[in-house]
Amino acid sequence: MHQQEKDKIKKLDELIIARKKLVFQNKEKEKREAELIIANKELAFRKKEKKKGEAELATANYARSLIEASLDPLVTISAEGKITDVNEALIKVTGVSRKNLIGTSFSNYFTEPEKAHEGYRQVFEKGFVSAYPLTIKNKNGKLTDVLYNASIYKDSNGNVLGVFAAARDVTEQKWAIDLRVANKKLAFQYEENEKRAAELAIANKELVFQNNEKERRAAELAIANKELAFQNKEKEKRAVELATANKELVFQNDEKEKRAAELVIANEELAFQNYEKENRAAELVIANKELAFQNEEKEKRAAELVMANEDLNKAEIVIKKLNMGLEKKVMERTAELESANKELESFSYSVSHDLRAPLRAVNGYAQILNEDYGTQLEPEAGRITKNIMTNAKKMGQLIDGLLTFSQLGRKKLVKKIVLMQDMVSHLCNEIKDKENNSNIQFQINELQPSKCNIIAIEQVWVNLISNAVKYSGGKEKPIIEIGSEIKGDEIIYHIKDNGAGFDMRYADKLFGIFQRLHSDEEFEGTGVGLAIVKRLVTKHGGRVWAEGKLNEGAAFYFTLHK
Amino acid sequence: MKSKINILLVEDNEYDAEMTIRTLKKNSLDNNLLHLRNGAEALDFIFAKGAYSERHIENTPKVILLDLKMPKVNGMEVLLRIKTDERTKKIPVVVLTSSKEDKDIHDCYALGVNSYVVKPVEFSEFQEAITSLGLFWLNINQSPQ
Repeated sequence: MHQQEKDKIKKLDELIIARKKLVFQNKEKEKREAELIIANKELAFRKKEKKKGEAELATANYARSLIEASLDPLVTISAEGKITDVNEALIKVTGVSRKNLIGTSFSNYFTEPEKAHEGYRQVFEKGFVSAYPLTIKNKNGKLTDVLYNASIYKDSNGNVLGVFAAARDVTEQKWAIDLRVANKKLAFQYEENEKRAAELAIANKELVFQNNEKERRAAELAIANKELAFQNKEKEKRAVELATANKELVFQNDEKEKRAAELVIANEELAFQNYEKENRAAELVIANKELAFQNEEKEKRAAELVMANEDLNKAEIVIKKLNMGLEKKVMERTAELESANKELESFSYSVSHDLRAPLRAVNGYAQILNEDYGTQLEPEAGRITKNIMTNAKKMGQLIDGLLTFSQLGRKKLVKKIVLMQDMVSHLCNEIKDKENNSNIQFQINELQPSKCNIIAIEQVWVNLISNAVKYSGGKEKPIIEIGSEIKGDEIIYHIKDNGAGFDMRYADKLFGIFQRLHSDEEFEGTGVGLAIVKRLVTKHGGRVWAEGKLNEGAAFYFTLHK
Repeated sequence: MKSKINILLVEDNEYDAEMTIRTLKKNSLDNNLLHLRNGAEALDFIFAKGAYSERHIENTPKVILLDLKMPKVNGMEVLLRIKTDERTKKIPVVVLTSSKEDKDIHDCYALGVNSYVVKPVEFSEFQEAITSLGLFWLNINQSPQ
């Protein structure tokens, strides 16, 4: 908070306190003024009372003068106690007309009738009473204290006629006393008055002082008001800002109303959709009923299914047991196969070594015999030696084929993309050179590349091309056509020749090991080549097959993955 | 035995040995040829031990024709001993075997064999192979001396 603001607050606090003081002083002032008014009223009343007292005194004096003129209130009373006569004084003192007084009981006009009665009884008894105090009661309520002097009066015969009573009004004496008292009171009230006046003077001085204070406060108030005015200006500024804010609010409200209008439209649409929904709901109710019915049917079927499932579960358990047995058997067979493979490996190794060496010896020694002693032998002996060599050679080829074939199963195939076109072209040239047959015509069409093991597939092509060359060798114009086509996700390669062909009845025997459809005299061979082809292609996940017609040619097909 | 050995033939099969020697002789490649019948004998000769202790080890043959499958110590072990010994590892060794096994071929080359020849079954092919390698190692190839 800034110092200025702090000072402002302090000043305001002081102003509030000053105001409170002023209000309190004004109230005090008002109290004093009210008290002064009451005191003045009392003073006025006292003055009036005094005047009244003086008037009454005058009246009393006047009455006394009347009594002096007409004696004291006088009355005569009969023996029966009835008034027989009165004077003006008495009429005045009782307030009752003469007419009405006479004949009435004398004691009626006193405050104490019994005492009055006792008084005139004493008169009759003693002949007189003097200064007998009684109080006359005027008709208007006014009381007159009197002292009675009474005596019987007699007629000239001495007969008691009645009582003559004269009352001496003692009111005046009483009033004198009362007046003194009243004067004393008045004097006291004067004093009091003066005291009040002095207090008033003091109060007025205080008032003046308070007024001065008031003015000072007013001046402070004026300053405060100026500050307030400044604050009001600030307030107005804020009000202007508020007005701007309000305008923005109004704008936003307008926007809101627009949105509200949009909402109304949206609501109408919703209402329409709800109506549609209800329609659909009704349709749904119908559909649900149908569904309920179908569910019932379903449950029935489900129950039937549960039963069926139970049967199935039982069957499954049986199957599981069977499967477990089967798995065990498979594992056993696998183990057996693995050991069989190992045996085969060592078998082929020993064949490779131990079987070929004797053969080489047979072949070798037969040839040595022929070389060293050929001239000395009969022609028939020469023929026999030659047969020995031929058969030994043939057996060597069979053993080599068998070894190659058995090795195929053990090799792992590393696959790479092979450009078949290049490979086959190269192989055809090589074989053509080797065969030394310039008549052979190769037609190599487009060959798709494939991802395969290059060594294995090269062997496949060598065997197939060699086959084609071999079996078409007898033709005048051997034609070998090679090509490929894509079918689905595989490539079908083919090699066709116009050679010896084969009988389709034996097509299934073509790819079996050592299976031959021709004799060695017709076409030399071991019966291993196509078996190797089949094994290698199968290892690639492909298929092989052949089509042919005896003496018209053969076609070999194999597939590889793209 | 101070004379220089050109060819050391290590072969347990006497027929193979005879046919090999006959072929070499026909081509006049059999001078200073020594035929030993198993690996143990071959090691004795090469490292001048046992029966050959009087020999000088540095008097190495021009080429060793080594069969693999032999009784006692086989060809692979002989090859290993020759090729891991500083004194003998420069001797050219040609494995002459009936085995076409890939494993044998790889193992021999891994040990540092200088050539690997499979003996053909057919005799004329056999003669051709022996003649070629004899000519090559004795006449064409220059051995370190």
